[in-house]
Amino acid sequence: MDTIIFILTGTFATATPLLLAALGELVAEKSGIINLSIEGMMALSAAMGFAIVYTTGSHLLAFAVAAGLAMLLSAVFATLVMFFSANQVASGLAVGILGLGLSALLGRDYESLTLQAPSALSVPILSDIPILGSILFQQDIVVYMTITAGFGLMWIIQHSRVGLILRIVGENPHIAHNLGFNVLQVRFLAILFGGFMAGIAGAYASTILTPIWSQGMILGRGWIALALVVFGTWRVLRVMIGAYLFGALLLADLAVQTLNLGIPSQIMTSMPYAMTIVVLAIISRDTLRIRLNAPVSLGQNYRPNH
Amino acid sequence: MKKKNLSVLATMICLAAPTFADNTLNIGFIVPNPIGEVGWDHELDRGRQMMEAHFGDNISVTAVDSVGEGPDATRMMNRMVAQGADMIFLGSFGHMNDGIALAKRNKDLAVIHAGGYLTGERFATYAPRHYQASYLCGMAAGYVAENAKLGIIAAFPLPEVIGMMNAYVLGAQSVNSAIDNVQVVWLNSWFDPARNRSAAEALISGGIDVLYSLFPGTPAAISTAEENGVYAVATLSNNSKFAPTKHLCAGQTHFGAIYIDYVNAMMNGNFTSGDTFAGIAEGAMEVAGLSLDLTDEQRIAIITKQDEMRAGTFDPFTGLITDNTGAEAVPEGVSLDISGIKSMNFLVQGLDTTLPN
Amino acid sequence: MIPYEFIPRTQPSAQALAIVPVLTVALSMLCGTALFFILGKPAGVAFYAFFIEPFLTSYNLSEIAIKAAPLILIAQGLAIGFRARIWNIGAEGQLTIGAICAGLIPITWPQSENILMLPAMIFVGTVMGMSWAAIAAWLRTAFNASEIIVTLMLNAIAIQILLYLINGPLKDPRGFSFPQSITFPEVALYPLLIKDSFLRANVSIYLVLALSLLAWIYVRHSFSGFRLLVGGLTPSAAHYAGFSAKRTVWISLLVGGAAAGLAGVGEISGPIGKLQPILSPAYGFAAIIVAFLGGLNPIGIVIAGFFMAVIYVGADGAVLQAGLPASAPIVFQGFILIFYLASHTLVNFKLRRIGETKEAT
Repeated sequence: MDTIIFILTGTFATATPLLLAALGELVAEKSGIINLSIEGMMALSAAMGFAIVYTTGSHLLAFAVAAGLAMLLSAVFATLVMFFSANQVASGLAVGILGLGLSALLGRDYESLTLQAPSALSVPILSDIPILGSILFQQDIVVYMTITAGFGLMWIIQHSRVGLILRIVGENPHIAHNLGFNVLQVRFLAILFGGFMAGIAGAYASTILTPIWSQGMILGRGWIALALVVFGTWRVLRVMIGAYLFGALLLADLAVQTLNLGIPSQIMTSMPYAMTIVVLAIISRDTLRIRLNAPVSLGQNYRPNH
Repeated sequence: MKKKNLSVLATMICLAAPTFADNTLNIGFIVPNPIGEVGWDHELDRGRQMMEAHFGDNISVTAVDSVGEGPDATRMMNRMVAQGADMIFLGSFGHMNDGIALAKRNKDLAVIHAGGYLTGERFATYAPRHYQASYLCGMAAGYVAENAKLGIIAAFPLPEVIGMMNAYVLGAQSVNSAIDNVQVVWLNSWFDPARNRSAAEALISGGIDVLYSLFPGTPAAISTAEENGVYAVATLSNNSKFAPTKHLCAGQTHFGAIYIDYVNAMMNGNFTSGDTFAGIAEGAMEVAGLSLDLTDEQRIAIITKQDEMRAGTFDPFTGLITDNTGAEAVPEGVSLDISGIKSMNFLVQGLDTTLPN
Repeated sequence: MIPYEFIPRTQPSAQALAIVPVLTVALSMLCGTALFFILGKPAGVAFYAFFIEPFLTSYNLSEIAIKAAPLILIAQGLAIGFRARIWNIGAEGQLTIGAICAGLIPITWPQSENILMLPAMIFVGTVMGMSWAAIAAWLRTAFNASEIIVTLMLNAIAIQILLYLINGPLKDPRGFSFPQSITFPEVALYPLLIKDSFLRANVSIYLVLALSLLAWIYVRHSFSGFRLLVGGLTPSAAHYAGFSAKRTVWISLLVGGAAAGLAGVGEISGPIGKLQPILSPAYGFAAIIVAFLGGLNPIGIVIAGFFMAVIYVGADGAVLQAGLPASAPIVFQGFILIFYLASHTLVNFKLRRIGETKEAT
């Protein structure tokens, strides 16, 4: 029972940086742009977010600057793919390397320092409910904001005019152009939004989830975020479910180890990844649904004047 | 060591920009990760600083951090030799084989390697006897563990790590016979602060009294213990800074004296090889940051035990020790020799985990 | 906003192609100078280490070969899939599995002097790298599971398999329980380019270059290359031309896995010489950028692979000689890659002032 409560309580926070970055990437991909620099953006914002909280104590300032820096990197990426018509995959990786390098360089003076973790938000009354209270109503504020952002995004993409434009641009930029939409502008904003979310994700990872900065601490989580978008077949709700599922599996490895079932730990550590593959295989059989949601122009640059 | 290194490599580099100075002992110092405030790389670097302070202008040190294991490490070593290094300190187990090959090729070079098991011509290895401090911290843990529940986080089942776990549990059991079913979480990653924190939370949610964090490469678990009001035991450095109220004990390492010995040997021209396994007696290891929650008697018992280890009258790995399958691991009255300690692969009774075999 | 824009050229410009490296280096040096100035380090020494020194010594040249071989090999394999828009990002795992399985041979026969050992390892490593990728191909074709996720997850699993084995059954029995295998016998290693030398470069670089040539012939002249190209545009186009989309998935992943598995053999039979926890400094990911820097073109990939290897080798020198922090070269590499991608636009596009009348085309 302790084990299950531990997993469920921790899942939301563990999944939050993955989900934040994945939601940002989802919007970029919906507009037809694949940005592989998430890892680098998260790292840079984690380093600077940490540095700012460490020196000023202000989380708000840290999140703002972190998001700003990640947006700056995503603007570099946007310039490469939209002004210079460079390949999206290569540009994303290149900008990602710059971000990783900058994070290590700027974070040098803060290596392995820690912060006081901000206390979780305790929703009055509700958090006193046994078991469920601690799982659902004693999380930090970013967890709740992320869930809200997820549902908000779901509505925007499905039901709002902005969402419609975004989808049309991602489906077929030429048609979007002919309909009078500014394709490059839409894509630029979508990329910036991706940067913003990756920035928040990075700052969350280093100042709230694990209040520590250490070079390389993002450790492939940007890639996981990318995988979550595909896993969720470009649908917000599925991305959210995928993120929380993966977060739970990551914690299950550690929790089950404490029980010592006689299984070598390496097998336990492999489980989240193996389970993800199995779940993916089960849910992917409905090809039509995937095709309906995948942005057709993903990865292809658009040039308005030809 | 005034001779210029005459390796083939050195002659080939005709344009290398700044080379090492000529009339001092030139030392290359390689550390595997970025240098933090505590931990392995921090302690290696602190040792280097002691060495530099001790020898002043008689040595010239070029230190490089973040040189990981794998095929790239060799390149940095060779570059240092090419620029005239007389002596190279390698800071990671994974640098061992490259280091041996390096010493073989360069007849005037001395290589000092941390944490391996091989020695060779002009290739020395050193390791602190971490397990001694582990035993002492285990005693502290045994004293404060009201529910007799201990939890350990470890990166990989290296023999050194297993030795430390064993000594820790033996120390705890020596003062608290109720200690059993010590839980272990293996991180299976060299470095992952978030995972380290979650592992700590997993153990804490299971109700442990004391958390022992073994070589995690980050103080994340220690600060997690502090936040949750659980005692923390740290490796390598005093981590009090990260757990101001719940820091129970730490094994503090001191590498400086080891380095100074090797540099002296090198300067006197009598360096050949070496296998330094230095502990409390040699000043390479001590307990630090003992919690004020321990009673005076308990602190005195721990310090007394440390004194016995210094004097050589007590050794944690003295039989009878049974492993966690119930078999005899160390016979009655026998003490494990160095190679037995350095290649330890049994878990003592009371450790509740599984190793691959 | 910006008063200039790029318009496509009717054909790629050879002049522009010649300017690209110059422009890349010049712009990177401009940013680099600012970076090194801020860090208070001598920029001249750093640039010298980055761009000149890698070519000056036989040791550095040998290291470039060591670094370039796996990057080029993996990138060639990945490019075949990337051209068909099959996204294999699991080269790291395929490399690991190839290395583990090939490593079983020398671990089983540590005293062997049979010269067939290396060929056997090459065979096993290639086949097993392929098999690991086949999991993704099967799940994609039978269950429609995205190969992006499957290959990414299989990376993590492969690492855990390696860790389990070298902490357990494949551990060197005389290795004091340290997590590594025995050191392989001579016959398990690629012959060095220069016998009895300390230069680590071995004949695997020739193998890589030969396979690159093969890849080039395959892409330029064979039906299969065309098939992959068509398959990549849209699934319907592939069907129209009579090619099975499923086959494209299989070929892409199998070839990518085979190349990565072979690269794994290159590491354990080359600079490493045993199984150990870290077999690759993320070659599987670095190769993705090599593939794209090379324009997914076999010849371009060879050039890009050597280019990346040069800046890796140069980075070490920059750290050591200019006293740069270890992270500064990564930032500089980021500059180089970004400016390369931006400069390369000039090959297929030309800069025009917005508002100028369109030339008759």
